[in-house]
Amino acid sequence: MEKEIIKSPDTGDSCIHVKHSSGLDIYICEMPGFSSVEALFGTKYGSVNTMFKMRDDKEYTVVPEGIAHFLEHKLFENEDCDVFELYAKTGASGNAFTSFDKTCYLFSCSKNYEESLRILLDFVQKPYFTQATVDKEQGIIGQEIKMTNDNPEWRVFFNMLRCMYHNNPVKIDIAGTVESIAQIDADLLYKCYYTFYNLNNMVLSIAGNISADEVLKICDECLKPCEDKGLETVFPEEPDEIVMPEIHETQPVGTPIFHIGYKCRVCTGQERLKKSMAASLAASILTDASSDMYKKLLDEGVINSSFGMEIFDGDGFFAVIFSGESSDPARVREALTAEIERIVKEGVDEKVFQRIKKSTYGMLVRELNNVEDVANLLINSYMDGVGPYDAINVLSHMNSSEVHEFMRDELINDRMVMSVIEGEAE
Amino acid sequence: MPMRYKRTELAGNIGFSTVIDEKFKTSYIVVRFITALDSKSASANALAISSLSSSSSRYKTLAELNEKLSSLYGAGLTSFAKKRGDVQILGLSASWINNRYAFDGEDVTGEMLSLVKECLFSPNAADGAFEADSFKITKKELLDRIDSELNNKRGYALSRAAEIAFHGEPAENPCYGTKETAENVTAEDAYSAYQNILENSQVEIFYVSANEEPVVEKMMTESFAAIRRSPVQVTFRTKSPLRSEPVTESDEFDVRQCKMVMTFKSDSDDIYALKMLNVIFGATPVSKLFFNVREKMSLCYYCASRIMSEKGALMVDSGVERENIEKAKAEIIHQLDEIRKGNVTDEEMQSARLTLDNAVTQVGDTPASYSAWYFERFCDGKIISPEQLFEEYANMTKERVVQAAESLRLDSVYLMLDKEAAE
Repeated sequence: MEKEIIKSPDTGDSCIHVKHSSGLDIYICEMPGFSSVEALFGTKYGSVNTMFKMRDDKEYTVVPEGIAHFLEHKLFENEDCDVFELYAKTGASGNAFTSFDKTCYLFSCSKNYEESLRILLDFVQKPYFTQATVDKEQGIIGQEIKMTNDNPEWRVFFNMLRCMYHNNPVKIDIAGTVESIAQIDADLLYKCYYTFYNLNNMVLSIAGNISADEVLKICDECLKPCEDKGLETVFPEEPDEIVMPEIHETQPVGTPIFHIGYKCRVCTGQERLKKSMAASLAASILTDASSDMYKKLLDEGVINSSFGMEIFDGDGFFAVIFSGESSDPARVREALTAEIERIVKEGVDEKVFQRIKKSTYGMLVRELNNVEDVANLLINSYMDGVGPYDAINVLSHMNSSEVHEFMRDELINDRMVMSVIEGEAE
Repeated sequence: MPMRYKRTELAGNIGFSTVIDEKFKTSYIVVRFITALDSKSASANALAISSLSSSSSRYKTLAELNEKLSSLYGAGLTSFAKKRGDVQILGLSASWINNRYAFDGEDVTGEMLSLVKECLFSPNAADGAFEADSFKITKKELLDRIDSELNNKRGYALSRAAEIAFHGEPAENPCYGTKETAENVTAEDAYSAYQNILENSQVEIFYVSANEEPVVEKMMTESFAAIRRSPVQVTFRTKSPLRSEPVTESDEFDVRQCKMVMTFKSDSDDIYALKMLNVIFGATPVSKLFFNVREKMSLCYYCASRIMSEKGALMVDSGVERENIEKAKAEIIHQLDEIRKGNVTDEEMQSARLTLDNAVTQVGDTPASYSAWYFERFCDGKIISPEQLFEEYANMTKERVVQAAESLRLDSVYLMLDKEAAE
């Protein structure tokens, strides 16, 4: 078991990383003075991982969309009860989520974390599915898909992805479709489970009022060693070009909502972290409430304080998204593209860049002040193939020319899409 | 070093609380103005408080104010208007990183404290009105917010249910007022509403930091000394009268999943028993509602209860298919009857205690959680520590929980229905 202490040269914060003999990567952050504990046990398996093979397999296996999320739901039940009932005995609040490129099981508590950690490690390693329970879950997830279809924020986002991606499964709802989940059976769930829930493909992060020694002792007791079977995932070929530039849908909403997205080229590890930071600074400059563009759009009444940005990146996808409420989304798009063109031509204002950099730094420092944020930081940075404090370090070395290059090379009109949800015309 | 909590009263009946906790990397201040919720003043009050966080006498536009905040390492300055029963709570809060993390050596704390003071006591106003251009933007922002409430279907259904259940009481009003009342508020109206708030509302200030900052108390004392204060005490808890017969109201929308909100009312004063009942009945994934209505019978995608002890009400909200509405309603009532009959196991009691204990122990892990905790206790009328509250739950008996369940009566039901199925 290798144990290393990772320290941030920028803030002095530190955590422990252990490569456990079972194959699992473990990140632990003791946070003296805090009362709560947050733990996440996750696998690099999300809705985009629909095509995979093991080292010894000849061909790739293709599985129905939504299966990672389905598996998450089913793993929450073991042979005799559901996991919530187990946590009810410790008082922890348990949950799970599936995103595009990961599935995580988590709990938060302030007492009895040792027992809750045993529950977490145990149930995730103990799958139990029968055809009857799978059939029942199809109904529950069908309801969930329906409910998210009534959520305009969800719709505007997925409509945007559908405009952006030809083949990448990121464009499909994380829960799949009623049709795709109908193809799931117990055997298929076991196949996906044994492929992706191998400890060599997983990570545990835990932060807060804990003792690292105690955590490792529990891991020694509960983790069952796994052989690394050389998992490979692939994505369908995805061109740089978008599918179509614009999509509109009608739903019961007040002010229309929009997403304007730029499809960017993908990369991995440290390169992706750098690119993601440059993208974040670029988008922050473009949505900065003190910029001339923001002022103008505000005065015209076409944006409000909901105007914001998001960097949407993960395994096989990368996009910069500008979103908000607007009575005239096309006007926002026009102003945004003009502003990008101006900055690409004139360069990034150094004073603005320094101010946005400070503000981003402040945000990263705040994250380290919160148990839940720290546990999430530890797991997310592992999933992204970087160290927990790398982001703050990359930021401290970033200069305005890198942000300028990102805008010039990636925020390109031909790769921009706009999705709008508007209310029915009266 | 453990945290240190202190509450004092400044001149003019102003509550001033501090929590010093060395573990924090950030500081936090919130100034709350507490006033009766009233359909006539709700929008003007909400616009007044938002005007404070969008510009000031020195930073005359949102752009200038924002530039200042981002140069202070992305410090936050926000205002809010909330409803708590029949009371409107208006607030201005700020949070920033401690000076030791400022790599250029700025006095972030000093700058933020003066900014908060300026926003409160020297707003962007002249001749008895907030500045016109900024006010126009603030007003549009509020109107957009009222419009977009429909975007969140679950939240919208809960607001409609409150409107029906508390009809004729202040709590029927939305915390920002309605679109019509908001549209009619002028910059003069909002400014005079703010003067009224400064003079007549109850004020509670909360400051959380890693270090003692005696300057904050001094600053607030001096600033409020210039105001002629005659605060009006609000009533935090007013039990809502029960209807003689339950009513059902519905709206139709182009949605795929229907929503049902059932409001029950109680005349019991045992608020701790009502809170514990809520946990056992429908507030956790092992509660009776989640376990039976959702998991066992698959009648709803979500089905949860929430307690509004300030109105003596309990709401059950659910996402349900149209054909299951009656079945779900019957089952929700059946589960409440089970508790009324005493069908609560020792495990359920113990699990509820553990849930409440865990929630209570986590207080203090963020600066805002301290402030929220002590403010809630202030509203309850008894300032106690998290440990003291837990004692209340540790001593709770099954009999009290059963009595709390017996005291609940169905008052009203709100349904959000899918349009297509109706045709």
